[in-house]
Amino acid sequence: MSTSEAGAPATVIPIDDVGGRHHGAADATGKAPVVATAPPAAAAAPAATTTTTTAPRKTAGLPFFRRADRGSRCVALIDFVLRVAAFGPTLAAAIATGTSDETLSVFTQFFQFHARFDDFPALLFFMVANAIAAGYLVLSLPFSAVVFLRPQAIGLRHLLLVCDTIMVALLTAAAAAAAAIVDLAHSGNQRANWVPICMQFHGFCQRTSGAVVASFLAVLVFIFLIILAAFAIRKR
Amino acid sequence: MDGSKAPVSEHVETSKAAVLEVVGSRGSRAAGRGLAVVDLILRFLAVIATAGSAIAMGTTNQTLPFFTQFLRFKAQYSDLPTLTFFVVVNSIVAAYLVLSIPLSIVHIIRSRAKSSRLVLVFFDAAMLALVTSAASAATAIVYLAHKGNARANWFAICQQFDSFCERISGSLIGSFAAMALLVMLIVLSAVALARR
Repeated sequence: MSTSEAGAPATVIPIDDVGGRHHGAADATGKAPVVATAPPAAAAAPAATTTTTTAPRKTAGLPFFRRADRGSRCVALIDFVLRVAAFGPTLAAAIATGTSDETLSVFTQFFQFHARFDDFPALLFFMVANAIAAGYLVLSLPFSAVVFLRPQAIGLRHLLLVCDTIMVALLTAAAAAAAAIVDLAHSGNQRANWVPICMQFHGFCQRTSGAVVASFLAVLVFIFLIILAAFAIRKR
Repeated sequence: MDGSKAPVSEHVETSKAAVLEVVGSRGSRAAGRGLAVVDLILRFLAVIATAGSAIAMGTTNQTLPFFTQFLRFKAQYSDLPTLTFFVVVNSIVAAYLVLSIPLSIVHIIRSRAKSSRLVLVFFDAAMLALVTSAASAATAIVYLAHKGNARANWFAICQQFDSFCERISGSLIGSFAAMALLVMLIVLSAVALARR
């Protein structure tokens, strides 16, 4: 019937569209036979254009939900949802660290009585990196949406993969540096004579520890995004 | 006459297309092999970098000839748990990279392996996260050792332990180089996956 595999001008005989036109107004009944003929004709673009021109009622349905695209669209949807999910922890970590500021009511001769995140360069780097990651996630949402709408945009997928990998490196570095400093603040170091400051600054410690945990959760989501992107590129 | 000419010209055209296809596929196969060879080379470099870092950090040992009342007179990497973590993670990543070299060689020979490349990407991403976190945490501690922290009253131990500090600072370089190499490996694998 449809011999359009060779890429020559297609000679598609739209049998089912004739039946569809006879059925009348119901779009659902008209769509079903068109979708059934979609897989054999899906390989050739001329076939799609002829079916769409002969059935103008179904243009909204056919190019959007081809069976061959369903897998990669599912993956692209998961990708989009994961980006939205990773945005929360990074933003929360950045804000929590940025607003950490504790002043003690007592002061001894050894301790300063004021702790802020910018007293520790690692925490400053942590806050900046989380803010960058949150901004990147917001900016990459439209690209992810375009990948969902056009599953054949492989260059865009590659761009997202490269940027995601760089972001994983940055975010992991920031989270690990902050984790090292927070761990030192919790347990100190006897050899180097570093006193655990968390004994005095409870709120500051709690806030930064929570921010570090949230950041590591976001790192996990990012790694899953990379693997998903590699999987989707392979499928195409 | 026309009937006999038409099939001949069609045959010439299809054979021309077949020749072009073979030449094109040979060129693309060579490019695929080139990618796999670059992958192997990067893995070798990353093995050297991580192993060098682990060894450089693991053999730190400095004893001062004098001692004050505030500081012990001996410094090792195991005195700081973060540096221990650094040594362990670098050893793990070096071992993983050594084990992944045979798989990379297989990819040179058999360019069509899709699922093994995907497995390699998965483990490469995990190792990237590990090595980045270890290198970054060690950097934070080394920075603290160099500069100290006035607010938290943390004293800069590098003022006493010179060679220990130099050694731990230098061993970070290999780890960060391995991180950059792993990023390139992931991107390379993605390009190779998309070429089918």
